[in-house]
Amino acid sequence: MRMHLPSGVFYQTYKQDQALWPTTFVKLRMWGLLVFLFVIFPQIASPYWLSLANLVGYTILSAMGVQLLIGYTGQVTLGHAAFIATGAYTCAVLVLQYHVPYPLAFLAALIVAGLWSVLFGLPSARVKGFYLIMTTMAAQFITVDFIITQYVSRIGERGHSFSLPPGTLSIGPWVIQSDRDIYYLMITLVTLSVLAMTNLARTRIGRAWMAIRDHDIAAEALGINIVAYKLLAFFMAGVFGGMAGAFWIASLFAVSPEHFTWSWSLWLVGVILIGGLGSNYGTIFGSLFMTLVMEALRNMVTALAPLFPSLETSFLFIKEAAFGLAIILFLLYEPNGLAYRWWQIKNYIHLWPFSYE
Amino acid sequence: METFLQLVLTGIMVGSIYALVALGWVLIYKCSGVLNLAMGELTLIGAYVSLTFYTWGLPFPLALLATLIIGAILGILTERIFLRRLIGEPVLTIIMVTVGLSFFFRGLIELIWGTDTRVFHPPVFPYEPVRLGSVVIGQVYLWSFIAALALLGILAAFFRYTRWGLAMQAMADDEMAAMSLGISPKFVYAAAWAIAFMAAGVGGSLLGNINGVNISVGYLGLLVLPAVVLGGLNSIPGAIVGGIIIGVLQNLAGGYLDRFTPGGVKEIFPFVVMTLVLLLKPYGLFGWVRIERV
Repeated sequence: MRMHLPSGVFYQTYKQDQALWPTTFVKLRMWGLLVFLFVIFPQIASPYWLSLANLVGYTILSAMGVQLLIGYTGQVTLGHAAFIATGAYTCAVLVLQYHVPYPLAFLAALIVAGLWSVLFGLPSARVKGFYLIMTTMAAQFITVDFIITQYVSRIGERGHSFSLPPGTLSIGPWVIQSDRDIYYLMITLVTLSVLAMTNLARTRIGRAWMAIRDHDIAAEALGINIVAYKLLAFFMAGVFGGMAGAFWIASLFAVSPEHFTWSWSLWLVGVILIGGLGSNYGTIFGSLFMTLVMEALRNMVTALAPLFPSLETSFLFIKEAAFGLAIILFLLYEPNGLAYRWWQIKNYIHLWPFSYE
Repeated sequence: METFLQLVLTGIMVGSIYALVALGWVLIYKCSGVLNLAMGELTLIGAYVSLTFYTWGLPFPLALLATLIIGAILGILTERIFLRRLIGEPVLTIIMVTVGLSFFFRGLIELIWGTDTRVFHPPVFPYEPVRLGSVVIGQVYLWSFIAALALLGILAAFFRYTRWGLAMQAMADDEMAAMSLGISPKFVYAAAWAIAFMAAGVGGSLLGNINGVNISVGYLGLLVLPAVVLGGLNSIPGAIVGGIIIGVLQNLAGGYLDRFTPGGVKEIFPFVVMTLVLLLKPYGLFGWVRIERV
């Protein structure tokens, strides 16, 4: 979705046209946003808001790979939590058992998760649509419920949880301890991966993915190697998933298979559907919306708990039902997601007072 | 050899329940093209509803009948409220609506019935096992098998001989032709969902009799997906054969492979089979091979 440019802005060179941030206004806005996110927010936010921000960041990182597969390449995946789990466990095992420094373990987690994802992407060479969905679902159950639960989490006689007290992880001399440290790590990763995703989407690779999404047979006729690009998409999605997992262990006290259930995979797909398919805005808005709405719901339930004591215990169930209803309602009434609404509002303001949309 | 026979027989009996639920799934897919991921939750609803009626004191057959009626009503409502608007939408949208439905239903089920395991009390089927030659079968399995077979028979007769069943077959075969013959697609879709809910409801109450009712019955309902992939998505005989094969394979895996691993093979094996089927024979045993043209 390209923006309509305000009157008086025109490009004179290709370089200008291809710039990531084309106008001075956009540049200022983006730098302002970065300064706010990196400098101002962590200073003014209370620990509660920081941990909430971390949750949003984790959702963004997790949903990034799902967005890449579903939104950009059109390969529906319902098992992304498997690759997040792969990343998390690779990183945790390397750090706890082999005492590998966290940054190195982090990189290893990206690669392992990427390759594991390619393995389950292989059937995409032959099947698509519903059949591919089934494979990704199988990936979820085979990876998390079998391999990780039965084998990986027994490494080192630690029972079912790998305990990671705060301060276990450090990058060089910087020990990741408080919510603020996690926030800095999170915001760096989110910024980098949003940049990476944006740039992937506007290069040859991204255009090939979108061609496959729009019509795979036509894409093949145009000379795109479909299988290679699909597998590349699975690899990159796995890498993003691994990144999310390897990051998230920093804020978990213990890694356990319950963090990476099938529900979480479905939740991520819901996040990008509510946010909007095929754009970074979609991933970010969806993550913000789902996390904040659920948090608001939780606060409401806590506030009402003195009146209805049973409410507190049933919050999880209310959350599930609300999430299901939210997906259904969005798909029925706002199938393009929040990002589309945002795009409309932006255009309305840009073109004001002559908006004609 | 005896163990083998034992495992296969139990597998066939559990598999017949899967076959019943899978039949409901295939029916929805054939008639309306909806790929339903909420089947596990439909099974769960059936299990809880029949349990509730049973604990209210209804005899089990009556409880089952009440479950069927509630299932039909819920099925028609679901179709009317959520799925009718989605005719002609992309696959992802429809699948995700059913995923939304599954979350919604599961949330509601947990709100209403909680998460503790409940059992049919007093037990519907006596505990004493039946001996068939050298093989021992629990009565629960035997009766479930008989009930599932009876229902499969009734459904088969329904499709062959009744006006509604023929209308549904026609719709599944060629939508345009069926419509021009005066068959209402709205009616057929609603009927398909009602039957799917009813089949899942019976499946759920039978599964609930075997191990008690909790959220994991929903997981068993999810096993219809490997079953239908194995059988071929749009084949009713495929659903039945697929369901039984999955039941047998699952039991064999549990019996023979479990000792080589720390556990959990039984739960995961159907999905391994499904992945292999998808890699080697993606359209299943009886499915239509799709040839795509631009």
